[in-house]
Amino acid sequence: MAETLELLSIDFWQTLMAIGNLIILYFIVKKFLYKPVNEILESRAKEVDDIYSEAENMRKEARTYKETYEDKLNKVKNETDQMIKKATESAKLRSEEILNEAIAEADNERRKAENDIYLAKKKAMEDLSTKVSSMVVELSKQIVQKEIDLDAHQKLIDSAIDKLGESV
Amino acid sequence: MEVSITGARVLFRLPLGITITETQVSMWIIMLVIGLLCKWLTHDLKVKPTSRRQVVAETIVNTINNLLNDVMGVRFKDFAPFVATLFAFVVFSNLSGLFGLFSPTADLNTTLGWAIVVFIMILSTNIKTNGVGGYLKGLTEPVVFFTPLNVIGEFATPVSMAMRLFGNVLSGSVISTLLYAGLATLSSFVLQKLPGFLANIPIFQLGIPAILSIYFDVFSGVLQAFIFIMLTMAYVSNAASSE
Repeated sequence: MAETLELLSIDFWQTLMAIGNLIILYFIVKKFLYKPVNEILESRAKEVDDIYSEAENMRKEARTYKETYEDKLNKVKNETDQMIKKATESAKLRSEEILNEAIAEADNERRKAENDIYLAKKKAMEDLSTKVSSMVVELSKQIVQKEIDLDAHQKLIDSAIDKLGESV
Repeated sequence: MEVSITGARVLFRLPLGITITETQVSMWIIMLVIGLLCKWLTHDLKVKPTSRRQVVAETIVNTINNLLNDVMGVRFKDFAPFVATLFAFVVFSNLSGLFGLFSPTADLNTTLGWAIVVFIMILSTNIKTNGVGGYLKGLTEPVVFFTPLNVIGEFATPVSMAMRLFGNVLSGSVISTLLYAGLATLSSFVLQKLPGFLANIPIFQLGIPAILSIYFDVFSGVLQAFIFIMLTMAYVSNAASSE
């Protein structure tokens, strides 16, 4: 049977070796487990911080962009509003002008037409009066069968026709 | 048949009375295993974990850190590697029996050595917090008459820690040995009428010890390791806040 220690024995060197081994293992664990893991955890925390601050920056930037765009949009809207208003006004003015011109022209046309009508009517009247008077003279000549003083009758008939024309 | 329960086998002796036993060899193997495990777990770490290994490594570190925060508070952050070392060493030592190694924790010298380290930490934390005078004064409280008791109490801490761990592990191996011996006797008693080698078939040793081994080696081993580090943390944080 091999040599063994007593079950309950305390040996100075053995105890010291146990202490030494624990200390050595402490440094092993610290160097090979804790140091790398802590480094990675720290760099991860740093990365997360970076991402957060970057996101914050981008948010701020986005807000300024938004404000700028809103300003610009408002400006453009105002401008277009004004342009539309101006255009509407000028169109209204122009249409009124056109309308007035049209009315004036129509007026002129009407007046001219009236004048023409008046002249034509007058001419027709004159023609008619001449024809009628000569017809009447002719008729009366035939009826009376005798010569009538043409001039005297002419005057008489003219006045009658004038009266007739006025009443027409 | 003869049953003997002894300490670690002596492998060779060096001058100055230094003996190298199974305990030492087991410890070196365990240290190598833990060291390689750490190296393997932490090689090729990335900020974005891609391997399960890294998740395991981070989980171990975070679990110990959280435990430390809960029990001792944030100011003992630097204590974490020591607690992790202690836990790993005790667990691997307790479980080494499963792999046919001699459990270093079944040797009183080992547990005593570790308990002494813990005791030195308690002492240094106490002195760092209260000063030498404060610490010595604390021994005389509440009345001077209690001083001897307090001194005994101080030394009881490492002794009880060492004995608790050693006793638990040893008791497991003692019970296992006794059980094996008992089952062997039972087997040979039942099979004694059979001729030749058939009488020596260990029918009862198969299976039954495994169940006990699960309790004594695995469950009790991990539990005792946990108790050991919990006591360490509790004593040290208590020393930092006492008086």
